[in-house]
Amino acid sequence: MSAPNAPLTDEKAAPRSNPFRSINLSSRFWIALVLVAFVLLLGLAGYVYPTGPGEKVGSLYDAPGNGLVFGTDNFGHDVLAVLMAGTRTSLVIGLVAGIVATVIGVVVGLFAGFVGGWIEELLMGVTNVVLAIPSIIVLILISISLPKSTIWSLAIVIGITAWPWTARAVRAQASSVATREHIDVARLSGSRLPAILMRDVLPYILSYTVMAFVLQVSGAILAEAALSMLGLGPSGANSLGTQLHWALAFQAVGSGAWWAFLPPTIILTLVSFGFLLLQASLDEVFNPRLRRGRRRQMKQAAARRAAEAAQLASSRSEQEGRSEPEDRGEHGGRSGSDGPATPPAPTPVAPTPVAPTSTATARTQEGGLA
Amino acid sequence: MSQRVPTPHIPSGSSRRGFLATSGALGGTLALAACGGNSGGGSGDGGSGDLKGVGNNGAAGKGRSGDAADHLFIAGFQWDPPSNFNTFSAAPTWPASGNVAQYVYETLLRYDVVSGKLLPGLAAKYEVDGTSSIALTLQDGITWHDGSDFSTDDVLYTFELGKIDPSLGVASFWVEVDEVTADGNTINVAINQDRKNVGMVLATLAQQFIVPKAVFEKAAEETGKKIATWETKECMGTGPYTLEKSDQTQIILARNEKYWGKDFYGGVPAPTKVIHPIFKSNEDGNLKFQNGELDVMQQFIPQISKMWDSGKPVGTYLQESPYFVAGSMPMFLINTTKDGLKDTEVRRAMAYAVDYASIAETAMSGYSPDVVASLILPEGAESEWLDKDKATSDGWKYDPKKAEQILKDAGYAKGSDGIYAKDGVKLGPWKLITPQGWTDWNAALEIVAKSFKAVGIDAATNFPQQAQVTTSVQNGDFDMACWYVAGANPATPWQRFSDVMSNVELADLGKTAYRNYGRWENSEVNDLLEAAAAAADDDTKKSAITALDDLYRKEVPAFPLMYRPDEFFEFNASNWSNWPTEENDYAPPMFRGAGNQWIFKIQKIGG
Repeated sequence: MSAPNAPLTDEKAAPRSNPFRSINLSSRFWIALVLVAFVLLLGLAGYVYPTGPGEKVGSLYDAPGNGLVFGTDNFGHDVLAVLMAGTRTSLVIGLVAGIVATVIGVVVGLFAGFVGGWIEELLMGVTNVVLAIPSIIVLILISISLPKSTIWSLAIVIGITAWPWTARAVRAQASSVATREHIDVARLSGSRLPAILMRDVLPYILSYTVMAFVLQVSGAILAEAALSMLGLGPSGANSLGTQLHWALAFQAVGSGAWWAFLPPTIILTLVSFGFLLLQASLDEVFNPRLRRGRRRQMKQAAARRAAEAAQLASSRSEQEGRSEPEDRGEHGGRSGSDGPATPPAPTPVAPTPVAPTSTATARTQEGGLA
Repeated sequence: MSQRVPTPHIPSGSSRRGFLATSGALGGTLALAACGGNSGGGSGDGGSGDLKGVGNNGAAGKGRSGDAADHLFIAGFQWDPPSNFNTFSAAPTWPASGNVAQYVYETLLRYDVVSGKLLPGLAAKYEVDGTSSIALTLQDGITWHDGSDFSTDDVLYTFELGKIDPSLGVASFWVEVDEVTADGNTINVAINQDRKNVGMVLATLAQQFIVPKAVFEKAAEETGKKIATWETKECMGTGPYTLEKSDQTQIILARNEKYWGKDFYGGVPAPTKVIHPIFKSNEDGNLKFQNGELDVMQQFIPQISKMWDSGKPVGTYLQESPYFVAGSMPMFLINTTKDGLKDTEVRRAMAYAVDYASIAETAMSGYSPDVVASLILPEGAESEWLDKDKATSDGWKYDPKKAEQILKDAGYAKGSDGIYAKDGVKLGPWKLITPQGWTDWNAALEIVAKSFKAVGIDAATNFPQQAQVTTSVQNGDFDMACWYVAGANPATPWQRFSDVMSNVELADLGKTAYRNYGRWENSEVNDLLEAAAAAADDDTKKSAITALDDLYRKEVPAFPLMYRPDEFFEFNASNWSNWPTEENDYAPPMFRGAGNQWIFKIQKIGG
C-alpha cells in the first residue's frame, strides 16, 4: 500500500490488468451474491430434502431435536421443509412480480420519457396518482376481492401495484436519452418509434432497469410476506409469509416456539438485505461516481494519467492532449478503457446522473411498502 | 323464524390479534415445574399447602397485595371499547351481552354443562307438566340494584318484549310458547301444542336475562318500540355485582352488598370487584394471564400445559388432555345442492378422508376428544343420549383407503390430474370457507383440504371476513364451510339435529336460511324431529334421537371436525384458590349459566 501522501511518481504506472479485475466488483457484491445464492440454494434444497412440507412428522410446536433441525410448526410439519418450500414460493412470487412490475414500469416510463408531450403528461399523471395511493392498501383490497388466491395471482397483483416508481425513474432516464444525437441519427435513418425505443433508448437505461428489477424482486418478496401475514396469502401453498401467519395465529411468540417464527424472519431479512446489497453493488459497477475508495487503484490511475500526460506533452500531440485529460476526469477511477489511443467507449451507463438519486428514491418508497 | 339461541362463537385467535406480539414472553419462566405433590413451583410461586382448586401442577401463588388482593381479574369477553349496555342491542357490551356470566343480569334457570341439569336462578324451582306447560316458582326477596322489588311483572315483560319488537332474539320464544302467565309467585309457561318442544323452551328460560320492566318500558317508549336501537351506559340487574365504571381499557363491576342471594349462596361473592381489562389481542391477555395478572379467562391459549409445566399456578377443570369439557361441535357443512356434493357416497367418502386426529392434536392444541360419527356430544351432559356402539359400528373414522374405495364403488374414476370424476362431474375444485382469524378453524380446514387432496378430491381453503362468511353460509352460496351449530344447552342434542338436518321452512338458494345451511333434503327428517321434540319420557326421546342419528350417519349431510369447550375455562391460582376442577367439582367449568357459583366459593390466598 502506498502512503497517503506519497508523491504520485512513487506509484508505478501499472499496466491495465485483466479485464475481469477491471469490472471492479466490490466485496459488497460478493457478500450480496453469497446471500442471494444461499437463499436460492435453500429454496432448491426442498427438491432433495427427504421430508415434504405437507408431511406431518410431529405434534404442535415440537422443539428442535430428534432429527428435526427446526422442530415442527403448528400443523406438526417439519419447519425446515416448510421453510424450503416457502423460500421457493417467495422467490417465485418475487421474480414474477418483479418482472411484471419492471415491464409495466419500463414500458410506461419509456413512452412517457421519449415521446413527451401530452402522452407524457397523461402517463405520468396516472403514475403519480397511483404512486400517491399507498400500495399496501391497494394490495389488500385486491387480494380480498380475488375469489381464489394462488401464488400466480398474488405475484401479478403485487406486480401491478409496484410499477409506478420504476416508471417515473425510467421516464427521467428516457427523456435524457431522447435528447442525444444518436437518436436523431436513428430517426434520420428511418427507424420507427418501437425500434428506436428498443434499440436506441432501452440499451442506454438497461443497467438502471436491471437495478430497478432487483429492487422490485426484493420489494415483492416483502409485500408477499406482509400480505400473507395478514392471512391473504396463497391458499394451499407455503410461503415465508404464510409461515409467519400461522406462527402468529398459533401464538408461537407467546409460547416460546422461536423455531416457528425465527427461521422465516431471518430468511426474509437475508433475502431482502441480499437483494438490496446486490442492487447497491451493481449500482457501483454501473455508475463509476458511486465507486468507493480504492486508493491504490485511484493512485495508479492518476499516476498513469500523469505519465500519459507527460508522454503526450513530449510528443506535442495537441489534439489528444486536449481531449484526453478531460475524458479521464469524467470517468474518474474507472479503468475500463485501455490505452491513450482508444477513446473511451460510449458505455451506456456513463451518462446516468439520475441513477443514484432515483434508486435512492426507489428504496424509500420500497420501505413504505414493506 | 330463527330457533337459534344466540351463542356467539368466540374466535380463538381473534382478528384483533396484534402483529407485533410482545416478545420475550417466556423470559424467566423456564423454571421447572413443581416436582411431586405440593412442594411448590419456581418463579416465586409458593407451595399450595392444603389449598384446593389450584394450578394443575399443584402450585399456587402468594396472592397480590393491597386492594388488588380482593379483586378478580377476568378476560376474554370484551374486545371493543364499551359502547352500549343494552342487552337487546346488536352488540351489547359485557356483562350485558347475552348469555354471559351472570354478574349483573340473571336468568330464571341456570344450565350446568357437566351434569346437564338446570339449577335454580331467579326461579327457585321449576316443574314440567308433560309437554304442556312449565311452572316456575320465583325466589324470595329478589331486588333490583336500585332497591326496588323484583316481581313476576318483570319476567312477563321481558318475554313480552319479543312481541313488542319482533326483531329481538327473544321473539323466537313465542314460536314454542303460547302464553306466559303469573299466579302469585309462580310463572306458568304454556307450551305450543303443535310443537311440544320443551327443550327449546327450557333453553330460552336458561339463557334469557330478565330485565327491569320499569327501565325497558321507558326505552320502548323512547325508541318507538325499536328496543335494539336504544343506547345506554347503565345496566341495572338483580345480580351480585353492579356496573361501577367502564372506559376504553376496562370494565369494573362492584359487589352488590344487598344481593338477594346472600342466603341462597351462603354469602356475597368473595371478590369485592370484578375487573375485565380490554385487550387488543389474545397475546396481550395470555401474557398477563400467565403472569398472574388475570385470574380467570376464556381466551384461547395454544398449549396451555406449557404454562403449568413452567411452574405457573395455571389450571383447568380436567387435569389431563383434553383439559376442557367438550361443549360445542364445529361443523363441516356441505352444500348438497352442488353437483358431486349431492351424492351421499361422496359425502361419506369425505367423512372418511378427514384426518380428525391431526385436527384435534394440532389445530385444537389437543383440546378436543376423539370425534365420534354422531351429532351428539360424546362427553358431558349430552352423552346419555348417544348410542356409542352404533356410532362406532355404523360411523366413519379417518381411513383414506376406505374413502377412495367408496368413491370407486360409487363409479368414480381418477382422472389424469389425480382427481376423481364420474359422468363429467369432477370432485372439485371446491372452496372451504370459514372466517379469517378463527385460527383453530382455519387450521382445521387447512388439514381438511390436505386430507381431501390426498384421496383425490380437489379443495382449497378461503378465509373471508366473518360477515361475508355468515352471508354466504346462510344464503347457500358456498361449497363447504366450517360453521357453528348449537352448543350444549337444555335443548341439545335435538337443537343440533334441527340445525343440521331440519327440512322445516327449507330456504331456497339465495334466501336466508337459519338452519340446514347445506340445503339437504329428506322426506323423513321432519317427522323424526317432531317425534323427538315431543317425546314425553326419556326412553322415547332416546330412541327418537337415535333414529335421527342413524339417518344422519346414513346420509352425512354434514360432519363435525372436532369438539370445543362451550367456554374455555382457565384459571391462575396466583391470588385466588378453590377453583372448580374435576376433583373439586362443586361448580361446572363455565362462566355463563351455572358458572355463577364459583365466584361465591373461591378463596383469597394472600393476607
